[in-house]
Amino acid sequence: MVEDTPLDPAASAALIAEQRAKVEAAVDVDGRILFGAWGVAWLLGFGLVWLVAVDRLQMSAGAAMVTFIASLAGAGAVTAWHLTVKSRGVRGTSARQGAMYGWSWFLSFGVVAALGVALDRAGAGEEAMGVAMMVSSLLVVGALYMAGGAIWEERIQWALGAWICVSTIAAALVGSPHMYLVMCIAGGGGMVVAAAAEAVRRRSRARASDG
Amino acid sequence: MGEDTLDPVIHTQARLRIMTTLTALPDGDRLTFTKLQSLLDASAGNLSTHLRRLEDAGYVQVVKTHQGRIPSTQVGVTRTGRRAFEDYVAHLRTLLTPPTDPAEAQEER
Repeated sequence: MVEDTPLDPAASAALIAEQRAKVEAAVDVDGRILFGAWGVAWLLGFGLVWLVAVDRLQMSAGAAMVTFIASLAGAGAVTAWHLTVKSRGVRGTSARQGAMYGWSWFLSFGVVAALGVALDRAGAGEEAMGVAMMVSSLLVVGALYMAGGAIWEERIQWALGAWICVSTIAAALVGSPHMYLVMCIAGGGGMVVAAAAEAVRRRSRARASDG
Repeated sequence: MGEDTLDPVIHTQARLRIMTTLTALPDGDRLTFTKLQSLLDASAGNLSTHLRRLEDAGYVQVVKTHQGRIPSTQVGVTRTGRRAFEDYVAHLRTLLTPPTDPAEAQEER
């Protein structure tokens, strides 16, 4: 940073534009990365579970479930890393909002896990468990995406949440085992489409600010 | 302040960059001193000097807290500061608006 260099108005305006872009890039949470990572995880994970469920792939149900969870954990790690980098050094309102939203995810999935335990104790069969776990997890994802979209006024995120809810309704009506295929294509595909929509939005915004 | 002079508290390269950085964040957000330093490529001493000037003018608020045992300094723009920056930008815009004589405006480009 240079010590008090004299500025003319044009230089001031250029400096403001340049610095603002730098700050925005530093704190910008990138939907292309987040939706893209989850899209790939869902396509692979749900796809694999479906293939095993309909006997198109020789793999134990346990191994398929481990792979499914590993792909979700991978997307979770990408998300955590990205959000950590973007929120580093930022305190105050945004940080508090982000923390509350993060806890909302964590606690909601705690409820899903508790539901699994309760259903198991109540003697629910494997198929009923599978349906309940998938549908309740997707309810959390869809609802929190819509809430996040509403809070931060992000249309793409809201639309993705709404789409996940619609896909989940369809999957629930289809039932096991093809509900996994529905979530692979509609859910995972929807995530990838959202990532692409985000890429288009960014490009058109960049073009608008260039012009 | 005269009609043509831009707010001297903001109108230096260093402080304009500080104010731009802090006002680019949503209301109520602060940056740690370290983060601010990295976004500005500034030395700690230089940044402190300019922050003090901005703090004296009531444009920024410097909060010293502890995160566990580690001391942390956080900087945020005040309401006065945000308003001053908006006025500065508005003033800048009037200075940059092409003069009413179109021929003269053409020449400037």
